[in-house]
Amino acid sequence: MDFELDEEQLELQRVVRDIAERECPPALVRAVVAGDDDGSALWKTFVELDWPTLTVPVGDGGMGMTAVELVIVLEELGRVADPTPFLATTSQYVPLVRESASAGDSDQCRGLLAAVCAGGTGAAAFAADSLRARRSDGDGDGWVLDGTASHVLDGDRADSLALVASTGDAVGVFVVPGSAVAASRQTAFDGSLHLAELRCDGVRVPGDRAFVDVGPDGRTIAAAVEEARDEATAGLAAVMVGACQRVLELVLDHVRERRQFGVPIGSFQAVKHMAVDMYVAIERARALCHFAGLASAEGDSRRILAASMAKAAAGDCQRLVAQHGIQLFGGLGFTWENDLQIYVRRAKAGEPLLGTSASHRARAARTVLAGPPAPQRPAEAN
Amino acid sequence: MRLSFDEQTEAFRAEFSAWLDENAPDEATALSERSRSTAHLPAWARDWQRKLFDAGWLVPGNPPGFGGRSASLIEVFVHQEELGRRKIYPSYNPQGLSIIGPSLLVFGTDEQKQRWAVPLLRGDLTAALGMSEPDAGSDLAGLRTRAVLDGDRFVVDGQKVWTSGAHDADFILAFVRTDPDAPKHKGLSCLVIPTDSPGLTRRPFGSIVGPDDLDFNEVFFDGVEVPADNMIGGLNEGWKVANGSLGHERAMLWLGFAERFDDLIAHGGAELVARGMDDDALVLDWFGNVVVDAHALRLLGYRTLAKARRGVEATEQSILKLFGSEGNQAAALHMLDALGPDGLDPDRASAPLNPLHSEWLTASWWDRYLRSFAGTIAGGTSQIQRNIIAERVLGLPR
Repeated sequence: MDFELDEEQLELQRVVRDIAERECPPALVRAVVAGDDDGSALWKTFVELDWPTLTVPVGDGGMGMTAVELVIVLEELGRVADPTPFLATTSQYVPLVRESASAGDSDQCRGLLAAVCAGGTGAAAFAADSLRARRSDGDGDGWVLDGTASHVLDGDRADSLALVASTGDAVGVFVVPGSAVAASRQTAFDGSLHLAELRCDGVRVPGDRAFVDVGPDGRTIAAAVEEARDEATAGLAAVMVGACQRVLELVLDHVRERRQFGVPIGSFQAVKHMAVDMYVAIERARALCHFAGLASAEGDSRRILAASMAKAAAGDCQRLVAQHGIQLFGGLGFTWENDLQIYVRRAKAGEPLLGTSASHRARAARTVLAGPPAPQRPAEAN
Repeated sequence: MRLSFDEQTEAFRAEFSAWLDENAPDEATALSERSRSTAHLPAWARDWQRKLFDAGWLVPGNPPGFGGRSASLIEVFVHQEELGRRKIYPSYNPQGLSIIGPSLLVFGTDEQKQRWAVPLLRGDLTAALGMSEPDAGSDLAGLRTRAVLDGDRFVVDGQKVWTSGAHDADFILAFVRTDPDAPKHKGLSCLVIPTDSPGLTRRPFGSIVGPDDLDFNEVFFDGVEVPADNMIGGLNEGWKVANGSLGHERAMLWLGFAERFDDLIAHGGAELVARGMDDDALVLDWFGNVVVDAHALRLLGYRTLAKARRGVEATEQSILKLFGSEGNQAAALHMLDALGPDGLDPDRASAPLNPLHSEWLTASWWDRYLRSFAGTIAGGTSQIQRNIIAERVLGLPR
């Protein structure tokens, strides 16, 4: 076990942090919230840097990195409350398409990921219980989608949508252009986050954009969906950890500077102990995010457990960090002007998405109580 | 970053593992006489420790001749991990092996190493650590036991407390005040004090677990004469030795907490399944949290190890004891509560006996809960740990 980022990973972390801090200051996030900016210039910067293709295989035109690098980048973008569709594209759309279509050497998959390499954005809806798919009557192997999916991240603005839908006795993944679905944005306390309700009313999907039953490598699509969802879960957890890290940094600066009774308030033990508990919660969640990335990258059988642990720990982390973070700023934390609220919002917005921390704790517990994981499957060639 | 150790490390583990298969004491031998304190070695345990020492498997990081084979940090780690996994104690004088021995080897002269460290590591002698006093706990540097140099000997007067195993130990590595006028950190020295010295009295007292759980001692020094040659490190340089001593203890301390977590999850989990509580939403919530804590601790521990191997400072190190001990405590409490009235029975074993390991692994859930406070109090309380982390890691003002 070598559980430390290697030199290249540390360098990636440094580069992403520098660029994210420079290109995505609090003022930009505020402008997006106020409706004065749509974040598209920032997205363009990411595209020029090739970051959206981070985990797209080299053969398909991407950077060919692993889920570990994705977690590293997402944490840094969480730290700046990135307002672009980066999270949805890289940790939801790409894994869902890749897992359901690319297990073999599918040209379909290459085509779908090529759009991302060209700067396109993607979103994914994972809740199969709300969307239904049926065979189309007329056009041979085509499908028709009906139903509603809510709180789909960036579902209102993505170029492509990957939708998990029930086919009756199984699930399928259906890829459609964003324009094919009626989407309405849902309000959220994090005003820079795009969440949408998607309504499918007889949306037609050609056969070559439908992935049903069994993938080319023999895995069921249901298994592929679960794997992609776990990667998305770990990605969201990483964003939450990044936002929490920013809250801690702001708090530490504040308690070192703010003086009461003639001394910095950071010298009081009551303050110190709360700050340490924030730090511990962040380190705990960060370690589990890295583990989830690593388990995913190595095809380790613990990856399901790892993803749930990461999300559970990120949930614990945001609860404690927001609680202590706002409290330690006192009245100064209770203002709109303080940037603290930007990152508190981002951290907390992750909690109800892709399963609450409580649901993931229960899943982790069930996984362990059910016994040791099955033997590892061979690592997939990248 | 990778999930497995490299081939060379695994080969090292396999070699040790094969040696253990051949040489570890059988269970009947180990059950013939139980250790009664942290400085009492039953004859079989002494033989076992000596066998490890002679084969270079006792402290593999030490050079040959000192119970080791100059193994690397990672090899030392997998050695400990393998012993922990098999639930085998290398020594029933754990403070001798992990704190006092290393201190003597780092700060002692060659003669002192041969006279004290080698017999200690071979199990010919056992030792206790004399740090805390009635008025010097967290504020260790405020200790008051006096040692006055008189020619070629010190005369020691004062009292230690919490001195684990002292009543069974052959000597105490004691920290004493040799310069009462210097600032408190600068007036300390470290002495090896044989427990049969005239004027030295030991009084074991029961722990919260029970009146018969005798490991703690009060140790009284009344004009105890100690040869000046028994001083470890320089005069008034005891603080350096004390910090070094606890440093040895802390480096891989987290592994003990990680093993306790694993044990809690395995045996606690089996108990929950047997009781049909594995589908209870409240149980799944706290048990899931224990699973998260256990994995996070191990991962953070692995990270400090990887950093230490690269010679990089690992700030995570500081949180491992705090996080591990508090997580253990919460888990033990949940498990005790989950048992309902059955948890009231203090003799109800929580796990099958591991004859080559300490009794606490088989203790009742009540005992485990009580013993978890050893983690949050001993070796720096959780509150002191938080102060240290706030100041040294987070950069908050004193």
